[in-house]
Amino acid sequence: MRQPFARPNEILPLPVTGHMTAEALASYEAYFGHHANVWTQILEENVARLSRGSYSLHWMDTSQANWGKRAKPSSRGLTYTDINRVAPYGEIPLVGNWPNFAPRGSVRDPYIEQMPVVEDYIVTDRGEVWAENVITLYEEAKARQWNATRDIPWDELTPLPEDLEKATSQLCTFLTEVEFVAGDFPCKWLYRIPQEFLEVKSFLATQVMDEARHQEVFRKRAIAGGGLLHASPGFEWALKAVLDAPSHTMGTYLLNLLAEGLVLSVFRSGEMIAKTHVDKEIFRRCLQDEARHVSYGVMELKGYIDSHANPAKAMEELHRFADVGELVILSAFTEPALIEPVSILLGGGLDKIDHGMEGMGKLWEMFIDEYIARCERAGFPRRERCRIPTRAPWLH
Amino acid sequence: MSTPASRCEGIIFPSADANQRIPFPSSDRSSAIPFPSSNESERILFPSVQWFSALADAMNRNRARQEQLGYVDCVAEFRVLDGGPGGGPVAYQVTFEEFAAIDVRETDPTSPADAGRADFALDASLGTWRAMIESIAHGGGRPGLDHTLNRLSHAGTPIALRGDDQLRKDTYFRFNQSLQEFFNASAGFRTAFSG
Repeated sequence: MRQPFARPNEILPLPVTGHMTAEALASYEAYFGHHANVWTQILEENVARLSRGSYSLHWMDTSQANWGKRAKPSSRGLTYTDINRVAPYGEIPLVGNWPNFAPRGSVRDPYIEQMPVVEDYIVTDRGEVWAENVITLYEEAKARQWNATRDIPWDELTPLPEDLEKATSQLCTFLTEVEFVAGDFPCKWLYRIPQEFLEVKSFLATQVMDEARHQEVFRKRAIAGGGLLHASPGFEWALKAVLDAPSHTMGTYLLNLLAEGLVLSVFRSGEMIAKTHVDKEIFRRCLQDEARHVSYGVMELKGYIDSHANPAKAMEELHRFADVGELVILSAFTEPALIEPVSILLGGGLDKIDHGMEGMGKLWEMFIDEYIARCERAGFPRRERCRIPTRAPWLH
Repeated sequence: MSTPASRCEGIIFPSADANQRIPFPSSDRSSAIPFPSSNESERILFPSVQWFSALADAMNRNRARQEQLGYVDCVAEFRVLDGGPGGGPVAYQVTFEEFAAIDVRETDPTSPADAGRADFALDASLGTWRAMIESIAHGGGRPGLDHTLNRLSHAGTPIALRGDDQLRKDTYFRFNQSLQEFFNASAGFRTAFSG
């Protein structure tokens, strides 16, 4: 039996929700009270104008606007790439320091003094978010959405022998547990990224949707096949390492490039060892989504390294982060609740688990090769410093 | 040699009811991909440009399904290691763009320039390709559990996934369902095998 991390009397009480709400409400009132001279002036002027029955129509003045340059659709429809061809709408600033929601390319300068500041927009460096493939991936993500309720032939699902059903359900439990960190992590940073990087925010929103669907489809598969089985501490530490990453780029490297790269391998393995066409379809659909996230992770890291003012410093910080991150991720990918069910499915039954472990060992080397290749593609040479053994720990 | 696949001239727009499910091929196998009787069609030789062009034509005729699956943008190379003259290698590249296969060509399997054009390549023996194609035909457009593209390629054997650029190589995964259904369309005609 595992030891708890703290004794019951050491656990701090949960925050009192009512008190927090009252405090937050008081803070909210104070903020808008402090700035009331600005927004109440806007309100009063608007009401006075409307009461006089007069119009402003200032918004029809195009002298400072980029008016009349019509975007032309391409064969795919009207994409971000198409509208970004119209100057200056496609100029992505090096520093996204516009402090509120005013759209990039709109007439906004005359109003800046009257606009609020969104303090949460702290990821202002383009190199911390941009990837040269982000628009392509966003369009691809929208086009390749699928529906876990309708697009899986659930009516074909038939019971498996108990060992294989349990192994499948445990694998799905693992995936249900880990998938939504890839939704929570972009959510955590999405509201910290200014509207100047709207293409990145759009892509991250698709990633959140993808992960919601993955969590959904694996939960459904487990419960349709027998039920959810065991959660695991090793998974949780890996997920926390992702969620607590100190910067967007570091977290994106750890989540999208490393962890999702490994989960992509799990999905491919899942498709390979699936015992039903239902499972094949689930894994094939999911691996496509995951590969998009991996591609963003690779190119976001490359963009960060290429654009950094001090590449050597950036590289060393990334290596330090990876030294920790790789080992924590390894804690998940060595958990019995993951490798044992996969080995049972790979071998074809509980009695063939040893055979399955041998197969897993061969796949392990391929996983790590791909991870190293993705790092190198991003300009992050990790081969010599990688903390994950290139050979599976159970192979001697 | 280059034979452009026929583009979809008459675009079939998806049903006005966006929620209408396009049948999963397995749910009604006989109607999803009609399997012609032997007296209805000639066999198409595998491997050949004509064979891959027939798949491209099938894909382009079924735009509604492609629109449901989503964009597929990549150049895929399929190599038959012992399918060429004298048992040597032979390779075919298919260019996918948006919802269509827009080009099919035979390439020189020893040419780095030709290889560089492809985002990834799948290498296998004629026997492996044949087993996959026959499994798809037997399943009426759906391969058996052991004959999907991913199943055959994941461990590096019997199909080997190749590519010098991991980012481009990863397009094989990004479009895997579309690529699988590209091959599944081979159930719509009869295949003869070289050798």
